Amino acid sequence: MSYQIISIAGLFYILAMPIYIIYMLSKNNKVGYLASTTLLLGASIHIYGFVRRFLEMYAINHSVMRSIPITNLYESLVFFVLSLVIGYLFIEWKYRKKSFGVFISIIAGIGIGLTELLGMAREVQPLVPALKSNWLLAHVTLSFIAYAAFAISFITALLHIIVSSENKKSFKYYFSTALLGVMLFVFISMIIDIITAGNPKSVKMFHSTLGNSSLSIAILSWLSLLGFIFISYKFSDKLVKILKDFRIDDNFLEDITYKGIAFGFPIFTIGGLVFGAIWADQAWGRYWGWDPKETWSLITWFVYAFYLHAKFIRGWQANKTSMIAVVGFIVTLFTYLGVNLFLSGLHSYGSM
Amino acid sequence: MSKFEKLNEKVWDFFSSVDLAVSLFIVISIGAAVGTIIPQQPEPEITVRFFSKIMSEENAIKIYEVINLLDLNNLYHSWWFTFLLFMFALNLIVCSLDRLPVLIKSFKSQPQPLPISIIEKMPIKREIKFNEKSDFKNKVIDLLKKKGFQTDIFHTSEALQIQAKKWIKTRLAIYVTHLSILIILAGALIGTFWGFRGHMNIVEGTGTDFAISDDGKAIPLGFKVFCDRFEVDYYENSAVPKAYRSYLRIIENENPVKFNGKETVLIEVNHPLSYKGITFYQASYGFQPQENAEFRFTYFDKNGKPVPLKAKFEEKFKLPGQTVSVSVIDFSPALGIDEQGRLFNMTTDMINPAVLLLFEDKGKRENQWILKKIPETWETPYGRIRFDELWGAQYTGIQVRKDPGVPLIYAGSILMCIGLFVSLFLRPINYFVTIKNNTICFYAPSSKGKVMTEKKLEEIISELKGEVS
Ligand code: HEM
Repeated sequence: MSYQIISIAGLFYILAMPIYIIYMLSKNNKVGYLASTTLLLGASIHIYGFVRRFLEMYAINHSVMRSIPITNLYESLVFFVLSLVIGYLFIEWKYRKKSFGVFISIIAGIGIGLTELLGMAREVQPLVPALKSNWLLAHVTLSFIAYAAFAISFITALLHIIVSSENKKSFKYYFSTALLGVMLFVFISMIIDIITAGNPKSVKMFHSTLGNSSLSIAILSWLSLLGFIFISYKFSDKLVKILKDFRIDDNFLEDITYKGIAFGFPIFTIGGLVFGAIWADQAWGRYWGWDPKETWSLITWFVYAFYLHAKFIRGWQANKTSMIAVVGFIVTLFTYLGVNLFLSGLHSYGSM
Repeated sequence: MSKFEKLNEKVWDFFSSVDLAVSLFIVISIGAAVGTIIPQQPEPEITVRFFSKIMSEENAIKIYEVINLLDLNNLYHSWWFTFLLFMFALNLIVCSLDRLPVLIKSFKSQPQPLPISIIEKMPIKREIKFNEKSDFKNKVIDLLKKKGFQTDIFHTSEALQIQAKKWIKTRLAIYVTHLSILIILAGALIGTFWGFRGHMNIVEGTGTDFAISDDGKAIPLGFKVFCDRFEVDYYENSAVPKAYRSYLRIIENENPVKFNGKETVLIEVNHPLSYKGITFYQASYGFQPQENAEFRFTYFDKNGKPVPLKAKFEEKFKLPGQTVSVSVIDFSPALGIDEQGRLFNMTTDMINPAVLLLFEDKGKRENQWILKKIPETWETPYGRIRFDELWGAQYTGIQVRKDPGVPLIYAGSILMCIGLFVSLFLRPINYFVTIKNNTICFYAPSSKGKVMTEKKLEEIISELKGEVS
């Protein structure tokens, strides 16, 4: 089954993370190649899984356009991770700098992990009539490519704040290092969740850690979450030094942040907003209806428009704009997953 | 300057400022986000029930009063949200009027040499030295021209200065984007004033000449819409609809309207029908048996020749060449079999329609279920009877809309995309080159995409080195 292949790709992404760390600590180029190769191998398996899924769907639909696997939440998340990894590998190849791969593999690993832990339907599902539209196809594909670009700019923005903050007591610094710590914790907790899962169908996120039925383990987990945050805060100095060794300076990080947004923003505008509106217009007879998903897409769009204006017209300083990029991705995540989890609306597309 | 002029200038400055734009981005976002949390429904009970989940009933009622005052349960159409959008539009207009003339003027004005002190302060700088006395001035200019740059050369007392620029006019693109936002807002405004939205449910075989608006009013259409037939396909063994479609006819002043030479038009989800600016969208469907609903069968006689038959509920009919009289005494749109082997009705969707036929022959009475999708059930002691459909028992749910603003929305969207792609992917490039003695210096003022700019400069320099040496 295609989803098993994709899970294997996820395993490679997770595996890439410690290799990238070893590379950063040892500065051994061979290890660096190994790290990139692991990620590349993951992506190749991922593409293979994607093609397999296409064939599985084609066997049901007999239509090429209706068999591109981005028709439900599971498939979209998988596609997002694939775009993210390919986008990152492209940057790595283009700039010949590979040290933010750690964070990419964390996000890619969490992404694939979520598909295991949120109880999403992973079997190929029949398409309801509203989803049979080429506009929808273009809408979803481009939206997720844009989300992946935003994810890359999120990581570089986060690193940028850490690298360029002089004041270790500033809110931005606390915030970024804490976020880094939380990401790391979620990543590790997720691995434990998946390993200890007896019945994969009934697994819940954090069942083995924060939400453990045993009170002592739960408390321990919360403490270790705080520990991760503390360590991340304490050792960010080291991280900065290591990054500097790899010529990852604030200019580079700021540049990639901007590039991610300058690429993602128009793609999101055309794919997320315009194509989404055209599709809604044809399927429901309205191009805009203030449905929660639509509203949050607009908010996401506004946050990135805010970034561009603050950066270029108001001339905000580097650090501040990176903060907008970080917030922008948090809003993007909410638009993508939060709206489905917490708010209800017409976008049955995303239901699990 | 008079007091009035001063005030005037202040107001202008306020509305042309990007600070206002940036603040509006935040305020509108927060406002819109609130609307996704508070239920957007006018009934007070819904709001009170929503808030009493997290607080006492009393407080929930108090909160409702605040919500009602600020129209938070109809936020996107409230006076203050509309006001914010209006401010946003005004901000865009004034801001563009403020800056566009300056920009256009800068395209027209003669380029001037910059003082070297300003050039030297630019954030990006690359220096190369040459020993030989080759004519690298022309080499630099040729190379820049080859790369598509437009060059201006100045002989100043301090140094030879070359200003190279490319894609300068793409700065206009962002004004296209901003204009497109105004076009879209205008389209939305036209839609709210001169358009309407409504829905209508038409039972198979009937027609209607009005739609019901979202707030329950009848909207006359000026013509009549008939639904001749409605069909749903389901995925095999499942209740998931694969496709559903209505065959519509439009009758205006007693005359049928033709579309591409045909009277009957098929509409499906994602494939609407438009007539006189009014668009009909296939939205939903449902089960609603009518007096005149008809059961349709095909009877196969001894030679296997098919004969169509039809009958209303409990109406007796004859099978050709037989004495038996048949009637439909029960119907199920989705017959299922439970664990004890009993028949039951799963839903009102016609997933697996079935009829119970009563056969009366010379005082003998027998009955049998005939399931549309299961051929084994079609065999009866009196021959093979296939149940084709129950016609006139489903209604098609159609969303009706008239929106004269839609062309503007589409035009604005296209412009917005063009403007954004040009302004973000074809950035203006500006280099300043000074040549003094045997030293060439490249400068770039922009800090946008610093690393890439530096990389491009490196490329030019290495090419230059290759040519000179
Ligand atoms: C949601 C609406 C808006 C979008 C999507 C948008 C988009 C953009 C983009 C992408 C840029 C180019 C930034 C760059 O240089 O990379 C820009 C520039 C600009 N925007 Fe907006 N904008 C919006 C609303 C506004 C508003 C309300 C104002 C009102 C003051 C404004 C004023 C400007 C100005 C003055 C520039 C610089 C133009 C120049 O470089 O000559 N924008 N806008």
